[in-house]
Amino acid sequence: MKKIVISFLLLTSHFLFLTSVYAGEPPNRIVSLAPNITEILFAMGLGERTVGVTNFCDYPNEARKKPKVGGIYNPSLEAVVLLEPDIVVMTMDGNTKEFEERLRSLKIKTYVFKAKRLHELPQGIRDLGTALGVKEKAEGLSREIEISMNRLTNSSLVTRYSSLKKRILFIVWPEPLIVAGSGTAIDDAISLLGCENIAKVTYTSYPKYSVEEIIRKSPDVIFIGEGHMNMKETSRALLKKISKVPAVKNGEVYYVSDSIYRLSPRVINGIDEMARCLR
Amino acid sequence: MSKIKISMLILVLVLIVSASLFVLPKVINPFQMDTVERNILFSIRFPRVIVAFFMGMALGVSGAVLQGILRNPLADPYILGISSGASLSAVAGILSGIYFFGKFTIPLAAFIGASLVSVLVGFFGWKKGRLWPERLLLAGVGLSFLFHAILMLLMSVSADERLGRIMFWIYGDLSTADWSLIPIASVFIISGISISLSRAKALNALILGDELAHSLGFSVRKERLLLFVSISLMTAASVSLGGIIGFIGLLVPHVMRFLIGADNRFLVPASALGGGTLLCMADLIGKSILSPMEIPAGIVTAIIGSPYFLYLLGRRDVLSA
Amino acid sequence: MSSVHKYTILQFDDVGFFYEKNKEFIHELSFTVSDREFIGLLGANGSGKSTILKLASGILNPSEGSIRLWGKPLQSFRYKDRAKLLSYLPQLLDMNVPFRVRELVAMGIYPYDIIPEMTLSEALNMVGLDGKSDLYIKNLSGGERRRAFIAMTLLQGAGLLLLDEPLANLDIKYQIEVIKLLKELKEKKNISIIMALHDINMALQFEKVMLIKDGKVLGMGNPEIVLSRDLLKEAFDVAIEARSFQTAYEIRNTGS
Repeated sequence: MKKIVISFLLLTSHFLFLTSVYAGEPPNRIVSLAPNITEILFAMGLGERTVGVTNFCDYPNEARKKPKVGGIYNPSLEAVVLLEPDIVVMTMDGNTKEFEERLRSLKIKTYVFKAKRLHELPQGIRDLGTALGVKEKAEGLSREIEISMNRLTNSSLVTRYSSLKKRILFIVWPEPLIVAGSGTAIDDAISLLGCENIAKVTYTSYPKYSVEEIIRKSPDVIFIGEGHMNMKETSRALLKKISKVPAVKNGEVYYVSDSIYRLSPRVINGIDEMARCLR
Repeated sequence: MSKIKISMLILVLVLIVSASLFVLPKVINPFQMDTVERNILFSIRFPRVIVAFFMGMALGVSGAVLQGILRNPLADPYILGISSGASLSAVAGILSGIYFFGKFTIPLAAFIGASLVSVLVGFFGWKKGRLWPERLLLAGVGLSFLFHAILMLLMSVSADERLGRIMFWIYGDLSTADWSLIPIASVFIISGISISLSRAKALNALILGDELAHSLGFSVRKERLLLFVSISLMTAASVSLGGIIGFIGLLVPHVMRFLIGADNRFLVPASALGGGTLLCMADLIGKSILSPMEIPAGIVTAIIGSPYFLYLLGRRDVLSA
Repeated sequence: MSSVHKYTILQFDDVGFFYEKNKEFIHELSFTVSDREFIGLLGANGSGKSTILKLASGILNPSEGSIRLWGKPLQSFRYKDRAKLLSYLPQLLDMNVPFRVRELVAMGIYPYDIIPEMTLSEALNMVGLDGKSDLYIKNLSGGERRRAFIAMTLLQGAGLLLLDEPLANLDIKYQIEVIKLLKELKEKKNISIIMALHDINMALQFEKVMLIKDGKVLGMGNPEIVLSRDLLKEAFDVAIEARSFQTAYEIRNTGS
């Protein structure tokens, strides 16, 4: 009887080992190659085990104090190797495939975070959590996100708006005019809020848009991402050009923070922000 | 006199290589390395320096030879559209996401693109049984514009994630250099340099003019074709190693000509040395100055190169030939 | 002073050449050049002087007839071997070549694997450029540049020099310099020289003149006979006379 129990236990632990890269203990030394990854790591309680981040990882505050390995497109191979990471977490966009391969050729474990769209975020976090041995925390985090997203979708506000089919434009940069097209988290957020993204029919995520087209499509609401600059100044000229558009005429131009740009738990805040503006 | 100058150049090269291997961006003491540092030295720094040197050599020699064949001091290997063709091909590879050959895919695409363009340029430059410098130049410039435009088109409609990658490749990124490409690329580059060196006398004669070259006993058609092929090989190999790096082919021969004269028997090897040194230096600066962020070597050469080029234009004694 | 000629160096037999199909430019051209001859190729622009020189040097291939160098067909020579026997200087010498005088002149040994008899300093000496060997070609005067290229052909050791309008655009002083030099070379080094020119009076310098029009030889021989009023009229479409001027006459005297 004892033998059977022991062998059964051995088998299941073996199985558990196979299903997660890190059974039990999460890796001690994690390097993040993207700001949203850094945020997720910290949100899952892995902040202390994160030993390296990019120069652009500014949230949470503790992340700023971590050793830097370079930019998103151009991290330093050496800097990563010097940190002797157990695993390097990267994204599908931004980080390059060559860099990932190079890391692997140097026998460094990598994990590619595959979520790119809003609805992929919860599962992406779950998968990341599983791979890093923090399944429960990841589950908790992704559930939070799912609940928030559902709340927004089902709110009376949204149902009201979907019947109105508000037309929205999200401007990333005024000059040259770059907007959020289809296939972006922003676009997903707009759909989530029951509205229509007028820049949806493009094959590029962040296309250079024509000012004419804005006038023709006459959006009801315009969001402008704050970024790090004084957007009010920079966008003044553009808004003047499109002053006849309903959004500008009715004063429905809103400046929102860049939480929406990063596919991390804070993206919910970004969506909330947008929702509040619509109220 | 020239021997002193060359010795100094070699000294500079040794210093730069040593700094790249042992000092910047972080000091590694070769006598007291731990495993991680040994790994960095041999798997990262070493191949990177070798790639930089080979690329620089290829570009320097190609510039010298091309300036001779075209009898034009402003010639640069990329004037023949080789860079645009290679970029277009590599970018198409990146965008398509096809990865048949794993990590060799992009370099291979670049190489094929560069070679195809060379063939195209050669085709347009060929008339009545031989290559004409003026035709080569015009064909190269024309094709260059065309490919560049197509490239910009592709970039403007492509998904942005890959754009960053494309930009870095286009600006000459040596950061992921490893040993795998070095053997085959070095074969092409060494071959190209050897061919150029062996035809150095013919190149000198070609500079005098087709008729004089003929009078001195050279088959103009054969020599020009051979030299053109060697340039194409070297440039294509260089592009496949680390993308587009400008100004080296243009400037290094000028500087070397000023230092040791225009005789290609000396100019060719000097341009190899000078080009290799310059690129090693540019890469060293690129990986150190904003560490840990890396600036692509191509951007560094452009920043150093263009003002220096303008300065050269002002000095009449240097713009000889 | 007439020299005794022992060898035929160059021979044109019924040579024909056309730049475009069915439009013959050179037609049934025959002549020979022996050793130690100094021949002036005279004719109007477009009469075929350059073409004849290019055919003689092998840059162009005849469409008809044969050209022989030392008895062998010109085309049968390997490039390097041909370069040891004849050299060609075009009319336009690019002044922007990046070489110094000594580097340029030294290129004369390219056809050879071993150093030829004449040394660099000898060649420079013969053309009077000894002190200027370190100068850049582009910093020389027109006449000096021409002489530097001649020095290069000297080093090449060719027995036959083909010069296309070497006197063009030179001041009269340099023209005379070059003619004097060429005559000297012919005597001292046993070289034959064919030179294209269009200055009729200068043609009187030569022992032998070939008068060309439309790719045909109107006359070949002593200039005083060939440059008769009738033939000149035919060659240049205008009634003129060749007159030797004082200096030309004097050079003629001192040269012989």
